[in-house]
Amino acid sequence: MTLRYLRLTAFAVAAALPALPAVAQELRIGLASEPSSADPHFHNLGPNNQLRRNVFESLVGTDEQQKLFPQLAVSWRPLDDTRWEFKLREGVTFSDGSTFDAYDVIYSVCRIPGVPDSPSLFTTYTKAVTDFEVPDPMTLIVHTASPYPLLPTEFSTWGIISAKANGVDGPSIAFSPDGCGDLAYPETQAFNDGSAAIGTGPFLLESFRRGEGVELVRNPGYWGEAAPWERVSMKPLTSDGPRVAALFAGDVDFIENPPLQDLDRIRGEAGLQVVQGISNRVIYLHMDHKQEPSPMITGTDGKNPLKDVRVREALSIAINRDAIVDRIMGGVAVAAGELLPAGMFGAHEDGQMPPAPYDPDRAKALLAEAGYPDGFGITIGTPNDRYINDAQVAQAVAQMWARIGIPTEIDAVTASTFFSRRNAYEFSVYLAGWGAGTGEMSSPIKALVATRDSDRGYGGTNRGQYSNPEVDDLLTRALATVDDAARQELLREASRVAMADWAILPLHFEVTPWAMTDKVMYAPRVDQYTLPASIKPAG
Amino acid sequence: MTGMPAPEPSRGWSADSLPWLLAGLMGVSTLALVAGPGWSSLPARVLLLLGFIALAAHLLRGKGRQFFNGPVAYLAAGSLLLLVVLALFASEIAPQNPYDLRQLDIMDGRLPPGSTTFDGAMTYRLGTDEQGRDILSGILYGLRVSLSVAIVATLVAMAIGIVVGIYAAWAGGRTEAILMRLVDLQLSFPSILVALMLMAAFGRGLDKVVIALIIVQWAYYARTVRGTALSEARKEYIDAARGLGLPVRRIIFRHLLPNCIPPLLVISTVQIANTIVLESSLSFLGVGVPITRPSLGLLIANGYDYMLSGQYWMSMYPGVALLAIVASINLVGDRLRDTLNPRLRR
Repeated sequence: MTLRYLRLTAFAVAAALPALPAVAQELRIGLASEPSSADPHFHNLGPNNQLRRNVFESLVGTDEQQKLFPQLAVSWRPLDDTRWEFKLREGVTFSDGSTFDAYDVIYSVCRIPGVPDSPSLFTTYTKAVTDFEVPDPMTLIVHTASPYPLLPTEFSTWGIISAKANGVDGPSIAFSPDGCGDLAYPETQAFNDGSAAIGTGPFLLESFRRGEGVELVRNPGYWGEAAPWERVSMKPLTSDGPRVAALFAGDVDFIENPPLQDLDRIRGEAGLQVVQGISNRVIYLHMDHKQEPSPMITGTDGKNPLKDVRVREALSIAINRDAIVDRIMGGVAVAAGELLPAGMFGAHEDGQMPPAPYDPDRAKALLAEAGYPDGFGITIGTPNDRYINDAQVAQAVAQMWARIGIPTEIDAVTASTFFSRRNAYEFSVYLAGWGAGTGEMSSPIKALVATRDSDRGYGGTNRGQYSNPEVDDLLTRALATVDDAARQELLREASRVAMADWAILPLHFEVTPWAMTDKVMYAPRVDQYTLPASIKPAG
Repeated sequence: MTGMPAPEPSRGWSADSLPWLLAGLMGVSTLALVAGPGWSSLPARVLLLLGFIALAAHLLRGKGRQFFNGPVAYLAAGSLLLLVVLALFASEIAPQNPYDLRQLDIMDGRLPPGSTTFDGAMTYRLGTDEQGRDILSGILYGLRVSLSVAIVATLVAMAIGIVVGIYAAWAGGRTEAILMRLVDLQLSFPSILVALMLMAAFGRGLDKVVIALIIVQWAYYARTVRGTALSEARKEYIDAARGLGLPVRRIIFRHLLPNCIPPLLVISTVQIANTIVLESSLSFLGVGVPITRPSLGLLIANGYDYMLSGQYWMSMYPGVALLAIVASINLVGDRLRDTLNPRLRR
């Protein structure tokens, strides 16, 4: 038995030896979630956006910290309040050989609103554009209706396809926000079968098969630094167990999102390593600021105690965030003091907005002062399959609230049920998460604490119905301020005001882990993307 | 039919009605305990235990030797009695109340068996789960949830099944056809699937689990009762009762029904075990009991994520407890069937 095994191993090693140099050029990745399409404009979804960045690039790139850097545009600046000028990169060619210019950008923006059957369009990121001007093919001037400081950020979210490769003569495109006339566009299927997958990115799409995976090969004509891998295969391994097992078995070199409880085992295995970095997603508790009586609150004679700022403070300081991070999240999270991690745009510097201090005695005193010396009953609504250990985190909070005299129940349901019930205001307190897509503070403030106002798109996810004119005013001013320094200060101020009013209780920022062999290195990204071009061979 | 001993006609509220009385009493007191004083009433629980023993003794009256035919029977009956006692008196035996969040401390989470609390006040003999819940206490309380849910659901489902089955058998014709096709329809869906859909619609909660389990189980009893009632109704003693001009109500309740009991008792013991498994599956899948009041299935689910990382105790011990209760109920049910079913009598 042993001898046979040894012989087999020796044979396998001998057979593998000549092939080693080629193997070193290939990277095999186990994906935690699968892209729904290779069409860069079909579905605004994490896995799709991640795949898009390999093949199609945008004017503006985002680095590991979601800071902007020049990609297909070499520079950008506001000309005045409603016009931005982008200088484009010279000498970039699409993979079919056609050269990149301003008309390709316009063509891409033209296609975005009309992608058939799209589950989620990218128009969120292009609707600010009212007109384009092309003084020369390498300069693009973008018009907006009002001051729009987020334009460069939003231009980092969608990929650029070639007009010429699709038989469209660039200068003849007549742009209008409502559509650009009768232009020929490739179909989504043409991207999936590879025929229309013509981009400027570091990789070319060799094949895309739902359920089987994506094959990428290096783009020999890439304008930037060549990708370190000749070939990249990305296999969807959506169940945690098999994904980790594939890494252990050597079937893949790199996996996304290894489950928390397996991290120690991976770290302890020779030849494997874990890399982790903070993400832009905050896990928070939102409270009902409006309804009276509030659903599922007992023992208050119909009053809503959450309207009292002292009660909200008590609930916050009763939570031992470090214990949750340590025990429930296995250390793979960072306690939060505001809605965006330190160092990101509009967040405070490290240490300036620390997590609320854990102080159960003061919490009890605050409750007594607010007129609830005997507490009240409350129920936390939470999904049980959406965020990392979501229901367990809610349960830990329930433990801590029970200790200050607030008997707490947990209503844990599957995500789809949770979100529809939350949107019907069925919870007094709910646990949820928010990832700042744009990487700046305006995103969580606008979505979670700004007064609900569908016309302005404020408070879309503010299902606690918090309303504070001061926060709204600061946000509105920030969103109309093009100067970065002034905007950052306004956003910080808005965050301070909201946190001082205990409008929402941030718990922690999720930390994204990646696991890989020690033959490769990866710098963790705030946006949680896995980008093969940034996975470097070690040593 | 030939060679079978003729069933004795029942003579009203005699000894044959006792198991029904006892079962009903146990169901009512279980219901009262679950819904009312929340298990805090010690006399009620002692009464329940006595009822359980009396019911067993009554069923086996004069057949003890036949039932206890070997070591397996002793083992099964003994472990069932032990588990029932443990479940009934969990609050007295368990070192911690795992449902009182104030008694849990996440700083004590995922401790291996034999660890003590920070102040050494108590020992986690079977370790803790990630919330710092003592696994041993969790199992004792979880047994109580699993058993009471299963017993209540089984008794109510049996009651519904008896009514539907007898009515169908007695009414015949179109009514019977409609009712029995309904039963067929119900039985053609896997019960776990139906229960999952119901729970998805209801939401979490003990009461909702019980309702879902009743809905998926009544059909078994309806079909069995109808079959037995049809064959009993053709027998001479029913003809005799009819010939005497007794009212229909009296024939059904005093003559037909008591003679349909033995097969039902056998089904219901096996069915209680099935119900426990079904409830555990629902909780394991995250749609059963509330997560702050775990049953055995939910305890197993909580520890499941940690199985591969070597922290086996969170899932394994509740799993062993589940196995023990299901196996002992099934073995006792098997013995009961062999003992009570005259067809198998040698």
